[in-house]
Amino acid sequence: MSGKSKAFTKEEELLLQDFSRNVSTKSSALFYGNAFIVSAIPIWLFWRIHLIDIYANLISFVLVTLASTYALALAYKNTKFVLKHKIAVKREDAVTKEMSRKLAEDKKMSKKEKDERILWKKNEVADYEATTFSIFYNNALFLALVIVSSFYILKTFTPAVNYIFSVGATSALLALLSTGSQ
Amino acid sequence: MKWHIIFAAFAAFLLMTYAEEEEAARLLVSKQLLNKYLVENMDIVIKYTVYNVGNAAALEVEITDNSFHPDHFTHVSGELNARIDRVPPYTNVSHIVVVRPRKFGYFNFTSAEVLYRHKEDAGSLQFAASSEPGEAIIVSFRDYDKQFSSHVIDWAAFAVMTLPSLAIPFALWYSSKSKYEKLLKPTRKH
Amino acid sequence: MMNRFIIFSILIICGVSEIFAETCQKPEVIASAYVTEDATILTNVAFTTQFVLKCSNGVKGITLYAEVDGKSLPAARLSSDNKYQVSWTEDVKKARSGDYNIKLYDDERYAAIRKALRNGEDPNSVKPLVVVVLNNPGIYRGPWINSELLAVLLAALVSYSAFSSKFKLLA
Repeated sequence: MSGKSKAFTKEEELLLQDFSRNVSTKSSALFYGNAFIVSAIPIWLFWRIHLIDIYANLISFVLVTLASTYALALAYKNTKFVLKHKIAVKREDAVTKEMSRKLAEDKKMSKKEKDERILWKKNEVADYEATTFSIFYNNALFLALVIVSSFYILKTFTPAVNYIFSVGATSALLALLSTGSQ
Repeated sequence: MKWHIIFAAFAAFLLMTYAEEEEAARLLVSKQLLNKYLVENMDIVIKYTVYNVGNAAALEVEITDNSFHPDHFTHVSGELNARIDRVPPYTNVSHIVVVRPRKFGYFNFTSAEVLYRHKEDAGSLQFAASSEPGEAIIVSFRDYDKQFSSHVIDWAAFAVMTLPSLAIPFALWYSSKSKYEKLLKPTRKH
Repeated sequence: MMNRFIIFSILIICGVSEIFAETCQKPEVIASAYVTEDATILTNVAFTTQFVLKCSNGVKGITLYAEVDGKSLPAARLSSDNKYQVSWTEDVKKARSGDYNIKLYDDERYAAIRKALRNGEDPNSVKPLVVVVLNNPGIYRGPWINSELLAVLLAALVSYSAFSSKFKLLA
């Protein structure tokens, strides 16, 4: 990060402090909601296709879903954090162009204010794209890994064991990978 | 003692020559189920094979199977009573019947009966019982479907459930991405 | 000794057929057939056909022989008059779809075929009494692709696109 920050202006560096791992409550709710839904979906597969006993495994369903929700939300956050910087750099020119075209008519606005607006917009675009992509990316990997592990790798295990390991291990793996790749 | 043996051997020899001289058909009958699984309301293929191990043709070979009661089985194709006019020596012929079980659970498949004339001029008919497939379990259709169906509907439902969680974030990201990439293109061309 | 016996018995059969069984004139068949199309639970596919033979000269109860794809089969007589059944099985993997021609021969024609075969002549020169066609529309051996495999392939495709997009973003 220190290497890259040389290219940024002071104002941008100030703004970058906002690019921290701390996410707003709104996006946090979005992450947890999404993670919960995706974590719960595999129960359908185990119920209908692996023919797991729903009532006997109620506790493990709840526990695994909660753990997986937490792990997935973590993966979303970390992936988003990694992507946001990259996207911000990528979108810089385009956002500047869009904003300066929009703000060109407004003669009252000072140059400083315009720059701030551009920076703010850039942050917003990067945040939006990183969030949506992070959700897509982790969901896709999670579902693919759950299918592969439950139907191929852990096929010989009982449905109950298969469920705990395939969903639990997959979400843990995604959380781990997301922290490793920053 | 020695005489005993010689006598017995002689008797056996006589018997053999007698048997050789007697031209008669001898039938062995097998009854097989050609199924991997027996499932309620699905086809069961029953094959009756008549082997003539005798040295003459068997005539008017009549296969009768009374073990499939109409209360338990629906008859699909092939008749449970059939007559084959002639089975040449050392050959086999087969007859096939297709039935569907109406109920599930254990069922004992018993033997079929075969009546035949073992000689051209035989006055009375010979009787032979087929082999018995024995007791087998007929699986309920519901259980079969659960175990062996391809779960196409379940997978389709799964796809419907997962689609929003993949398509929505992807569409949002992609539309933003393409919007800004488009904005950037003309400037680079200039 | 044995040879003479065979010749003798053939003579008897021919004689019997000449004396008793007139040949069937203008044969007509009304046939029904059944093929076990759903072969998911079977080891062998069963082909069965039942038909009623009608002769314009009212001949009844003749012996029929059938030939399908070079296999000779007896036509079993069923309980009702002039009703016959021809049935055979084929391995699930080998059973072909399409039309099966069941050629039916009476005693006379069947003997002619045997004679032709013995003398090394073409047995097809003997015209069958009548031909019954059995159509096998195709055997269902279960889904051609396993749903799990399809799901895995689709999931892999989506994951691949996710990976490649991420790679581009990080590049």
